[in-house]
Amino acid sequence: MSEALQIERPDVLTELGQETLRRLMRSWFDFERRLSRVNIINRLDVGSFTIEDYRSLLLNLRPQVIEGGRWISRCASSFDREHADVRSVVIGHAKDEHRDYEVLEQDYVAAGGKIDVIQQQPRNPGTEALHAFLMYRASQPNPADLLGAMWIIEGLGEKMANDWADRIDELTNGNGSYTKFMRYHGDNDDSHMDKLYGLIDRVCNDVQAADDIVRTADVVGRLYTMQLEEIDYVDE
Amino acid sequence: MSVYVTNTGAFLPGPPVSNEEMEELLGYIDGKKSRLKQRILKANGIKTRHYAIDKDHNTTHSNADMGVEAARQCMQQASLPMNKIGMLSCATTQGDMVIPGFGSMVQAGLGIPDVELHTSHGICSSSAMAIKSAVNNLLVGDQSSALVVTSELSSRLFKHTRYEAAGGYDTIDFNAEFLRWMLSDGAGAMLLETQPRGRCLKVDWVRSFSHADAYPVCMGIGKPSDKNDSRTWQDYSTYAEAEAAGALLIKQDVRLLENIVKLGVDGALRLIEEGVLDISKIDHLLCHYSSHHFRDKIYEMLEMAGAGIPEEKWYTNLYTRGNTGCASIMIMLNEFLQEQRVQPGDTLLLMIPESGRFNNAYMHLTMVEQ
Repeated sequence: MSEALQIERPDVLTELGQETLRRLMRSWFDFERRLSRVNIINRLDVGSFTIEDYRSLLLNLRPQVIEGGRWISRCASSFDREHADVRSVVIGHAKDEHRDYEVLEQDYVAAGGKIDVIQQQPRNPGTEALHAFLMYRASQPNPADLLGAMWIIEGLGEKMANDWADRIDELTNGNGSYTKFMRYHGDNDDSHMDKLYGLIDRVCNDVQAADDIVRTADVVGRLYTMQLEEIDYVDE
Repeated sequence: MSVYVTNTGAFLPGPPVSNEEMEELLGYIDGKKSRLKQRILKANGIKTRHYAIDKDHNTTHSNADMGVEAARQCMQQASLPMNKIGMLSCATTQGDMVIPGFGSMVQAGLGIPDVELHTSHGICSSSAMAIKSAVNNLLVGDQSSALVVTSELSSRLFKHTRYEAAGGYDTIDFNAEFLRWMLSDGAGAMLLETQPRGRCLKVDWVRSFSHADAYPVCMGIGKPSDKNDSRTWQDYSTYAEAEAAGALLIKQDVRLLENIVKLGVDGALRLIEEGVLDISKIDHLLCHYSSHHFRDKIYEMLEMAGAGIPEEKWYTNLYTRGNTGCASIMIMLNEFLQEQRVQPGDTLLLMIPESGRFNNAYMHLTMVEQ
């Protein structure tokens, strides 16, 4: 069996690639501000976040984490042979993450939740919208714009690992035993960034492609925010 | 119509105070050495600073006095006399008086008659607000000259007695002690005119972006130490009660602080996107946050995005003059110009990040020669 095709990190991005990266950075900063305005995240910032808040957060994250594996797999299958190298990267990604939700369920139980409750929890309206959008985009031929989705969702994974997990333990007197899902995403920062630069260089070939990537990042950021906003309306 | 920075001035009170001397001067809380001082100083890199209080905690210069000194220094070489200044635009975090505005006190000290007065309120970025008000005033043609004066006297907040009144050594946490090892005193001034004079700096633009709608307070005075108490300092029956509750301590939420770097980058990227800022054409970057805060991942990302500014273009005098809040940028510009490194045609980007509730200001200048 041959080795999976690789996408290498370029030394320098094209001018369009640089502009796209700048726009993605702005999209991310906008997403972070949107997150900070969400009630449950504001409670994390001001220090009034409770263990009940944390269980609600996990409860509402699980359905999307499960769907995550699905849209990434769908995305991979939508790339044709001209994009085999991109497909390789996406397949690797799907394999990494498709059982993340099991760690999340263990955290929920360790934080005092009941396993049947989290397993029966339906998608909240924000998750529905996010999932529908991701599956729709992933079903298009060569959905390179999902690089924008990857940018937001991986960025959030790093934020959880580097910022939220410690803060949650601090505010709920935890010792790390129930923040494993969040912490898991902090590894391999550098390789994630190399992959991102490589993909921008590979798929950002014209202004339309660049606009699509940034638009998808913006939409995913908004829908992810909506998913978290809905937490304060969902009962445990 | 254009506006030019035709003169600058600065004033730093007393001799430089080293890291070894500073705790002696500010005082040991409950007679005990700080456990956090070294760690915080190592992180901010400051080696010396100035204080307008002596070791007995007498105030050697009031905040307004320092502003007046900086303004006088600025006007020494000016081509118009002090009494002809059209506008006085001032900024400070906290004046000597609670009211009236700081500008009134500076005006009285300088003896400028009939001046149009402005005082901006805030923390570090209040300097940019004061500059922008002055620039706009000149641009609409109401005045042809404006003196901008920024001054800070934060050391009065750092006397050991302040912390003792709020519970003492055992109750003071990292967030309450952080700024004690960061902020110090000083003043800066700049003269703005519609007429260029000799070598001077043309003001290309001043812009700012505030994010208080998205983030909680990161640096402030007025909230008690108990996070569940929603009162602010004037809600207590007496000021003594407010002080005992820690509501008069200056605090920094260190966890939220990293947002200032991201938002600083965000603002610069907006200005690039608008076509206002061309990073590749910046010759000098002056920022009172040192470049090492922008290193690591975000710096690398900026490099990849073609928006990085090489290390050799960064200038700061933070390490020797201290972080003087809203006065910092002018003290820095004054020293930078004195070093005479700027040539006609050179562009300067001044970055003024404020962590209070996240306001980032930017100012773009070009050296011109008449």
